[in-house]
This record gives sequence, structure tokens and C-alpha cells, in this order.
Amino acid sequence: MKVNAMLKIKKLGILFLVCAMVLSVFAGCTAKTSTEAAPTATAAATEAPAVVEGPYYSADMTAEQIVVDAASQGKVGNWGLGNEYEIQALLSKYGQDTTYLSQAFDMDGFDDDSILLASAMTYNELGLVKNSYDGGYGYGDTVSYIDMNDEGVAMLEDNIFCTKTFAEANPNTVKAFIAASMKGWAYACANPEEAAEIVYSYGSSVSSEHQAYMAGEVKKLVETDTAGNTVTVYGKMDTAAMQQTLDLAKTYIKLDDAVAADALAGFELSNIMDSTYWDAAMADGAVLGTPEKTDVTIQLKWLPQAQFMGYYVALAKGYYDEVGLNVTITPGGGDISETTAVYSGQVDFGVTWVSNLIAANAGGMDLIEVAQVFQRSGLVLVYKLND
Amino acid sequence: MQRIKKFFTSKQMVTVVWVLGIMVLWEIGAFIVAGTKRSPENVLPHLYQIVQSVFSTKLVNGSQTAFQIVLSNAGLTLFRAGIGFLIGAGIGFLLALLMNLVMPIEKIVFPYLMVIQMIPILGMAPIILAITKDINKSRIVIAAILTFYPVATNTLAGFKSVEKEKHELMHSIAATKYEIYTKLLIPSSIPYLFTGLKISAPMAITASILVDTLQGGGGLGCMLSQSLKHAMTIYVFWQIVFFSAIVGILSYYLMSLIEKAVSPYKRIHK
Amino acid sequence: MKKIKEIVNKNSFATTVYPILFGVLIVVLWQTQILHKILGADTFTLPMPSRIFDIILANTDSIWTNVVATLIVAIGGLIVGSALGFMLGVLATFAPKWGAGGLTVIAAFNAIPIIAIAPIANNLTKDLSDNPEIRSMIAKMIVVTLTCMVPMSINVNRGMTELKPFSLDLMKSYAAENRTVFFKLRLPNSVPYIFTALRVSVPVCVISALVSEYFAEFIIGVGRQIRENIVLAQYATAWAYITVACAIGIILYIILLIAEGITLKGRK
Repeated sequence: MKVNAMLKIKKLGILFLVCAMVLSVFAGCTAKTSTEAAPTATAAATEAPAVVEGPYYSADMTAEQIVVDAASQGKVGNWGLGNEYEIQALLSKYGQDTTYLSQAFDMDGFDDDSILLASAMTYNELGLVKNSYDGGYGYGDTVSYIDMNDEGVAMLEDNIFCTKTFAEANPNTVKAFIAASMKGWAYACANPEEAAEIVYSYGSSVSSEHQAYMAGEVKKLVETDTAGNTVTVYGKMDTAAMQQTLDLAKTYIKLDDAVAADALAGFELSNIMDSTYWDAAMADGAVLGTPEKTDVTIQLKWLPQAQFMGYYVALAKGYYDEVGLNVTITPGGGDISETTAVYSGQVDFGVTWVSNLIAANAGGMDLIEVAQVFQRSGLVLVYKLND
Repeated sequence: MQRIKKFFTSKQMVTVVWVLGIMVLWEIGAFIVAGTKRSPENVLPHLYQIVQSVFSTKLVNGSQTAFQIVLSNAGLTLFRAGIGFLIGAGIGFLLALLMNLVMPIEKIVFPYLMVIQMIPILGMAPIILAITKDINKSRIVIAAILTFYPVATNTLAGFKSVEKEKHELMHSIAATKYEIYTKLLIPSSIPYLFTGLKISAPMAITASILVDTLQGGGGLGCMLSQSLKHAMTIYVFWQIVFFSAIVGILSYYLMSLIEKAVSPYKRIHK
Repeated sequence: MKKIKEIVNKNSFATTVYPILFGVLIVVLWQTQILHKILGADTFTLPMPSRIFDIILANTDSIWTNVVATLIVAIGGLIVGSALGFMLGVLATFAPKWGAGGLTVIAAFNAIPIIAIAPIANNLTKDLSDNPEIRSMIAKMIVVTLTCMVPMSINVNRGMTELKPFSLDLMKSYAAENRTVFFKLRLPNSVPYIFTALRVSVPVCVISALVSEYFAEFIIGVGRQIRENIVLAQYATAWAYITVACAIGIILYIILLIAEGITLKGRK
């Protein structure tokens, strides 16, 4: 009995040893690469200028000084999941490593200083940081931000897209949907308070104060381009801004799949957008024709909020009915992304960021953008100011 | 006096004391957090704050209070969890039976059962979505997949636990295979089956909440992720945490109750 | 030597050859796209095995970094969780009334969805370390610990209390001390039950490690890569990581089976 027990222990010991050995062999293979990476990180740290007085930043510091300091401390935050390319472009612009901290969907990390330079959308997180209504952090003017548009690393965000196959099979539906949605956006931008109320009444749980703030900020993104000029036509596809988005996407979207990476490298604007539907829908005296498919669904990129007010307004004001469409709005924010939902045919239209559409097409989807709602980037990096 | 003493030593009391203990720990944590964090309700709010939010009549969206949101979405989620659980438990039991009946099936299927458990839901979801073409069906299927494994393994272990002598006895009285299963194997595997069910009933609820988060359209998981993303008050999140825990315990109790009802041996034993 | 041959011939033949044959069949169906027809899926959501394999080969370094991060969390959590679960099970044996109540309460942790525990764990561990890599590793481990604790505590409790008929009376008739009863009767009796628990909690520890990575502050791990790639619609890459995740689970499970075989050999 005792001998038997000893034998068992021996065998278990051998099993353990074998496992440990196999692990260490594998670890040995990759240990080399990790030591190689280390020196670059320390090099970046020594380059950091020592202009920081106090725990935060002063109002007269340049964007470069702030980015370099925060990056050298490893305290630049972003949500990742395809939202990080502008931040990486900015980090590269100032010669920093493109790693960033994963930021949660609240601003607690920014609040407790684990993130010094936090990503924020002008219409959402920035409002929560500044304002003191329910859910807000009430920082007011004690924070400032770096705007991606000013830094020349802006990538376009919310658009309307569908699959190429769907657009070719249902051109009138696409045109009608664009026309009615843009009418909704025009009304929403003219009456942001009312638009905020409409979104709230459709079951959005964002507080009505924040909703009103959001509507005001979204209006700015819809009516101003990356250079700061006013845009008068809603949903216009600005080829220069689209090209900049595509170029940045090619540089910063890192794909492990060689097939997809090759596809991405060869992309041109025609692979991701088709402006003919928008042109036809928005032309003076446009004839929309009868929609081929009348029951359509649009999946939003995020939760129901004023970011998508144009669609809710078009629904509430009956603009979709006018063009003969019966539209359902599905909120996003889940892990089945809008690109997958549209591609699988579960929904017909989607709202996504251009960079996400580019990545999805590189992976093998056949999506095309049919309208570009946001004309400039709404992403900023927010930081606290020293008193 | 006797009654009071009986109450204090009763089974309910034990649970109450445990729950109180955890509450005290929670409150200590909450006091520490409240002293050090700027928005403590995101990290660890006081329990009374959560209770207060349950009874608060303040509307958090167009028409509902926080607790109304939780309740109205709980129905959807629990319905899916229940169906998923029934399907999962049924398949689990049948699979265990099949595996015990046909040895090669056990050898073939068992490793793959585990492999299926290993595939993260997120990986499965797009494929199941492609097959079912409907997000709600996909949610039920995924909940079933996630719950059947404990039932299958535990029931199989129950079948295997029957002593050789009993098998021999059944053979000596010339029992048919059907009789061996209905008279010996299935009755003796019941305690094991219930171990599996007790593990997988709360799991079905967890799984159901988890798959809610895949896409919008209602359910506790949707509200939980919206609340976590600060699209609505964070107390909806805390309420859902407690709600799911309470429902989970109730589902465990429900399984224990059913177990007691169907296994007379245990009842006498206690 | 003869003995080993016998074992290989009889038992292991069936346990290894059948599943492998089945696996090969699936892969062949998959590569020839018959599987796609059966399931109604396309090669985009369910990429070909050859493409998945190419991606794994082309990215061994980054995959390995993620695997190590996941393994540390999964195994660390499994060990801590199982140890705690074992202690709880023992506690429930010696104080049946208080322990059983405790087990019910602990089982409640299983009912809280991982996606709810993960962000709480994340927030609670914020002050533990200045290094986000370490603090998010601890947060992930807490989640795994909680999920692995329950099956172990329930099964150990069963193993300690469901003894062979009269064995306890026999021990008592020897006037055995509680300690002796524990080490000579209860503990050996609970060993198969421990393995039953591990059979549940080994897959669970991997899966909860993967899910907890979704919410972690520091971007690393196989689960995180799956999520990033699915959200970015890079299904082929996501499948490469899913394959790796399955491989981790299978290897851990095989190790468990070998350990179980060694420990339980000679029983029954």
C-alpha cells in the first residue's frame, strides 16, 4: 500500500515536471523577443521633457509636450476595439510607442489619475467630465483637451452603410433611406433640444440634461468639417477627409491575418464607399422611386442616445413613412458589431466608424458607405489642468 | 423561549447569519471606498443606497424607474434562461445515457463536449446567428450549450458510480438492459444528476445574461451593459447584480426542493 | 513494459483513436466546405482550417505572449479557487449546519454573471499596484477564483459525507478520533469527488479567464484577442485564437486526466 502511494506521488511529480519543462521551453523561445522590446521603452522615457510642474498639465503646454509626458508614463487611455487608431496616429506623430491603456466606458480611470490623457467623445464623455448633472464628474474648466482635427489625425466616424449586394438589389430603398434620414438630421440640427427630447422619449436612458448637451455637440460634428468650415449639405462624403481616414487606417490597423492585411494595403476609396446613392437622393428634385424593400432595420453603433438623433427624429416626424419605408432602429453596444449584423443580413443598414468598415472589408466583408453623417472627428484626449 | 431558541438554531438563521456577515464585509469595504474614491457608487456603493434606488420613484428613462427597468427586462432573460436550461439539461441527461450505453460514443463525444465548453460564446455567437438567423433563438441555443455540460458529466459519473455487485445482481436475476437502466442505473444516478442541475441552474441564468449583451433589444444583460457604459444610472447595474444573485440562489433552492421531492432515500436519511 | 503495452492496446486505443478519427472527419468536412453547407454558414464566419492554421503559424510570438497571460490567470485562479472551495467543503462537513448555509451563499456567487464580477473586480483592484498589467491580472484571477470555488466546495462536501454504509460506524466502533476519521476515511473517499469537481472547473477556469480578459484594463490574453478580432470582423484571426483557446483547455484537461488516472489507479 505504502509503496503504491509513493509510486503515485512519483508519477504525479513526473507529470508536473514534464509540464513545467514544456512550458519553460516555449517561454525560452519567446523570451528573446520580450527582452528586445525593453530598450525602446526606456529610450522613450528618457526623451520626456521635464516641464511638468504639479501633478497635471498647465494651460500653456503644447499638445506635443503633454502627449510625450503622458505616453512616457504609460497613461494614455483609449477603449480599443477599433477606436484607437487616431490615438495611435497621434502618439506616432510625436514619436511615441503606440501602446495605450484599456479605458473602461466610464471616466473613473481619468478621475482617479490612473489615466492622465483619456479618450473622450466631445458629445459624451467630455460632457460627463465637465458637467455636474447626474453621472457627471463636474470638472468644469479645470480640464482641457487635444482635438484630433487640430492635430491632423482625424478619422471620420458615424456613417450609414450597407452591403454592396443589398445596395445593388435595392437602390431605391437605399436612396429613400438616405433622403429621409438626412431630412431627420437637418431637422435635428435645427432643433437640437426637441431632438434630444425625441430620443429620450424613445426609451434612451441617458439623462435628459446629458441628452441635450449631446445633441448640441453632435450638431457641431454634423455641420463642421475637419478644417473647421461649415458644411451645409448633410451626409456629404468629403473625399479628402475620407482619403485621410483610409491612409491612417492603412497605417494603424494591424491585422494578424496576412490575407486581410494584403487586402487592406490595396484598398482605395472605391472599396469602401459609393457616393452615387447619396448624390441621387440629395439632388434637387430627386425622384426616389418605389423602394424595393420597405421593412428595413438600422443598427446603431452604440446605445440609443442623441448621437443618433437624426434617425429617431426621422422616425418620430414620419419622414420614413413619407418615402414609403417602415424603419426599425436597433441599438448597438453589444459584441455582435454593426458590421457583422449588416453582413449577416440580420439588419439592412448600420451606423459605424469608417475605420471599422475598412477593417471589416479587409477581413472579407463587402460593405459600402452610402452617406457620411459626421464631418469631423469627435474624439479628443482630455487632461486635467494644474490649479 | 423554546421557540426563540429553535429559531436561532434553525437552518434559515444560518443563512441569515452568513448573509449578514457578507453584508458587514461589504459595508466595511463601502466605507473605505467612500473615503477614498470620488465616485464610490461605481466601485462599491453602500447597501442602503442600492435599496434606496430600488424604491426610488425617479424616472431614469422616458417612462420607467430603475427597478421597473430591471423587472421588465428580467422577464425576457429568465424566460430564455428557463428554456435554455430545460433544453440543456434534457440534452445533458440524454447524452450521458447514450454515452453510458454505447462506449465508442463516450470516447468520441466526451472530449468534444469539453471542447464546445472551451469555445468562447463570442466565437460561437456569429456562427449560431448565421445558422438560426435570429438573435433570440441564438440566445436560447447558447444558454443551452453552456448549461448541459455539468448535467452530462455528473449524470455520467452517477451511472459509473454503481457498484459492480449491483450490476452482477441484476444480471443474475436475468434483468434486461432496459430494466437495469430504469431500476438500477437511473435511480442511483439521480443524486449526481441533481448535483449537475444545482450547478447548471444558476449557470443558465448567468449564461442568459451574458448572451443578452451580444446585441441590443432588451434583457437584463443589455441593461447591465448599458448601465456599465454609463448610459443609465449605475444603480441599475447594482440592482441587476443582486437580482441575478437572488434568482440564482432561488434556482439552486428550487433544484434542492425537487431533489427532495423525487428522492425518498435522502428524505429519510436527513 | 508488457503492462504498459496492455494499457495502450486496450484503453488508450479507444480513448485516443476514436476522438482523433472524429476530429479528422470534422476537419475534412470543414476544409471541403461540406460542414458549411450542413450548418448554413459561409467561409467568412467559419473560415477554412488551412487559413486559420496559416495565421497561427505566422503569429506564434504574439499568440504565445497572450497564451502565457491567459494561463497564469486560469491556473492561478483554479488553484486558489479550488483550495478555497476545498476548505469550504471541509468546513461544511464538520459544521454541517453552518457549512451548508455557507455553501448556499457561496453558490450564489455562481449566479452573478462573470461580466458583472469582472468590472467590480477591476475597480476594486485599482489601488493594488501601479502597474496596470499586475493589477488587471489580479482582477482577472479573482473572477476565476470565484467561479472555480463552487463546484469544488459542493463536491468535496459530498465526498466527505457520502461515505460507504457503516464505514463511519466502523470507525466509531474503533473509537477513532475525528482526525483519524478525516484522514483515513473522509479524505480518501473524497478524492474521486475532487476530480469530478476539477472536470467541471478546469474548462470553467479557462472560459472565465477568457471572459474576464474582455473587461481587463491591460490589453492582453487570448480572450481579449478573440473579442477584439470579432468586433473588428476579423473572423479568421478570431478563429485562430479560438483554436488556441480550445487547445489550452484540451491540454489542461488531458493533464488532469493523466493526474486522475495516476491517483485513482487501483481503486474499485
